[in-house]
Amino acid sequence: MRKVAIVGAGMTPFAEHFSLGIKDLLPMAFAECAASVDKGLDIADIQAAWFGELSTTDGFPSGILADTCGLLDIPVTRVENACATGNDAVRNAVMGIASGFYDVVLVMGADKVRESASKDTFWEWAGMTRDMAWDYPLGLVAPANFALHAARYLHESPATREHMAMVAVKNHHHAVSNPKAQLRFDITVEQVLNAPVVVEPFGLYDCTPQSDGAAALLLASEDVADKYTNRPVWIRGVGLGLDRVMHQHKRDMTTFPATIRAAKAAFGMAGLSPADVDVAEVHDCFTAVEMISYEDLGFCPRFEAYKLVEAGATSVGGSIPVNPSGGLKAKGHPPGATGVAQCVELFEQLRGSASNQVDGARIGLAHNIGGPTAVSAVTVLAGPGAYRS
Amino acid sequence: MTHVAAIATYLPCWGSARGRVAGDDEDAVTLAVEAGRAAIDVTGGSSPAGGEADTGGVQRVVLVSRELPLLEGGNAAVLLAGLGLAPEIEVSERLGGASAALDALTSARPRTLVIAADVQPSAGAAAALVADSGLHIAPCARLARSLPVRTRSADGKVHDYGDPRLLRERGVLASLASLAADKPLALAGVGTRQAAAVCAGQPPALPTTGASSALFALAALAESRSSGPLFAADQATVSGVRVGDGTALVRRLEPAARPSPASTFTPGKEIPVSLAAYDRAFPAKVRFEAGRQAGTGELDFPPRYRVRQDGALRTDYALVPLPRTGSVYTGVTVRVPVPGLPTPYSLVIVELDDVGVRVLARVTGAVPGTVNIGDRGRMVLRRVAVRSGVPDYGYAFCPEVHEEAEEAAV
Repeated sequence: MRKVAIVGAGMTPFAEHFSLGIKDLLPMAFAECAASVDKGLDIADIQAAWFGELSTTDGFPSGILADTCGLLDIPVTRVENACATGNDAVRNAVMGIASGFYDVVLVMGADKVRESASKDTFWEWAGMTRDMAWDYPLGLVAPANFALHAARYLHESPATREHMAMVAVKNHHHAVSNPKAQLRFDITVEQVLNAPVVVEPFGLYDCTPQSDGAAALLLASEDVADKYTNRPVWIRGVGLGLDRVMHQHKRDMTTFPATIRAAKAAFGMAGLSPADVDVAEVHDCFTAVEMISYEDLGFCPRFEAYKLVEAGATSVGGSIPVNPSGGLKAKGHPPGATGVAQCVELFEQLRGSASNQVDGARIGLAHNIGGPTAVSAVTVLAGPGAYRS
Repeated sequence: MTHVAAIATYLPCWGSARGRVAGDDEDAVTLAVEAGRAAIDVTGGSSPAGGEADTGGVQRVVLVSRELPLLEGGNAAVLLAGLGLAPEIEVSERLGGASAALDALTSARPRTLVIAADVQPSAGAAAALVADSGLHIAPCARLARSLPVRTRSADGKVHDYGDPRLLRERGVLASLASLAADKPLALAGVGTRQAAAVCAGQPPALPTTGASSALFALAALAESRSSGPLFAADQATVSGVRVGDGTALVRRLEPAARPSPASTFTPGKEIPVSLAAYDRAFPAKVRFEAGRQAGTGELDFPPRYRVRQDGALRTDYALVPLPRTGSVYTGVTVRVPVPGLPTPYSLVIVELDDVGVRVLARVTGAVPGTVNIGDRGRMVLRRVAVRSGVPDYGYAFCPEVHEEAEEAAV
């Protein structure tokens, strides 16, 4: 199995891009990715592409990528794996290179959530991940889907809404310096706690915004990586985990077994452990989800996420900084793009060029959890100096 | 001569002493199911823990209402499923008010469940199980007259002539006079004050003025062991029965009235429905039954195919009733406006008693946000949504704490 490197990474800002369609966002992200390649890119080098898009804005996703990015001569495969789409697109591309089939491939992710009226988003997006006869008519909207977990988590763990608020405050603060982030302003714990309630126990500031955006990664095999850069970021582990899809079938809702499965696969492939991680981009669509994920990813023992939050351990400057980009919470969350953009952030972190740099970061982890909390994807990355064979 | 073995009544918990208000998730069918199940239960049907009701040999169901949810598309299957009755049973849907309900009772053969349900102007339902023995009733008067002071056409449009005095003097009073009847013990279909002016002694206060009021009146006479005439009016049309000897079991599900919680309805696109998915789910969803895998006995809710470790497909499950009581494992309250659903609403995952099965359900009969982890309650049939014109029925969680008042009211 060949090693796979990231040699270029780029993304559009995450925002309400009312003036830009998916056909605009894709070439924008692709061009920024190409521009980031240290030694330049001839797009004719690209042999295949994987495209993560959860929705089908403006129609047939693979064709739109090929058409808008000038890649009509290569195979393009659309990946859809709920909110784990982005990191699963990475995983599929990695297999394409690791297997020896390709040397240079493109991974893209994009979505346009704000293409729908904001009030219609609940039903449209819930329709993609709910049982149509049983769950859908109950109004199990996306925040409720995760809140059912959070409510039980708060019941069983010492964590409180204040701890959740501290996660929101941290991620907002991280986003301030990130030019790609959607919500670049500081907030206070009081603001979070006093915000309008969306779905108890989530207030407005516990929730990700609705975002549009695209992100791109250029992957190369170890055989050709130095044609593009002397400072590649290595993809050392990828993992995908699944779980029961209906909430009533999940026996313990204080944890996401999909994450545990994905992390086990990714760490196993990387030969690394959670203690090796210097910086992580964790799926914080809702604040409590970040906390539960600390435990599922092995950053702390079960029900002790609140201790990491209280100690500031997951802030930049702490022992295990999480979401230096601002995370989904403040950077934004166009689902198909989210996981790819996490890797864009980690590409920069591990090369020491991030806007909110974690000093000396050598190992990074990206994590998505989605569907009705039934699918997770984890990617473990290593910086240019951190992968010696 | 008709014999009534049991009478059960149901009132929504919302409203005031002036009248009950159906919840957002209630309609004439769910109201009827509440009363009908109670009538079957009281005759020694199902255990309180739920499960398959012994349906007391019910062979026919008559539903009398002016608010049948569907005029086309069918209410009968939902009604039978909610009642736990076989889909082969004959259902008659009768459009009518109090006099029609009384007529339905006197014309019913034994083993008929007569249910009357009203949504407007005040909500309630009552059911009477006609049997071979029980409380005797016999028709004693009937007069159909047209004095359409209030009209409602097929499109639901209501016109009110606006002369209540005309309706009283030339309507029910004139009809009663022309029948030369004795003063009744109770008069259904009219307000309490008007009934008191007509009846001998103090008539029972009735919570509705529609079809169900006739059966509420019968329940009151059965409880007080009163014999004598019971009349029911529908504007100028009047029917009467003579209530005689014998006894009927009476069960009342009448929780204390509470003000309806504040609720917002946000219009939006119609909630889409897949009728194929609706149809597949229907038996398990509306009868509240799980699939029990042959061999392992494992319960799946919803029922489904399984694949064995050796890859063999297992489709041989049988539908079995689930317990209808349980406790909250987790729950949340949606406060953000969701188009097409009244908000706020609470969603809970209920751990059903003793079977290791959990159910995701909306909360009913409680102010949103007041249900906590560990709270106990029962699963009840409700209209969980209206999707593109299709009423979508399923089970909601009704917390127990709000039923204490109901026991006190019995």
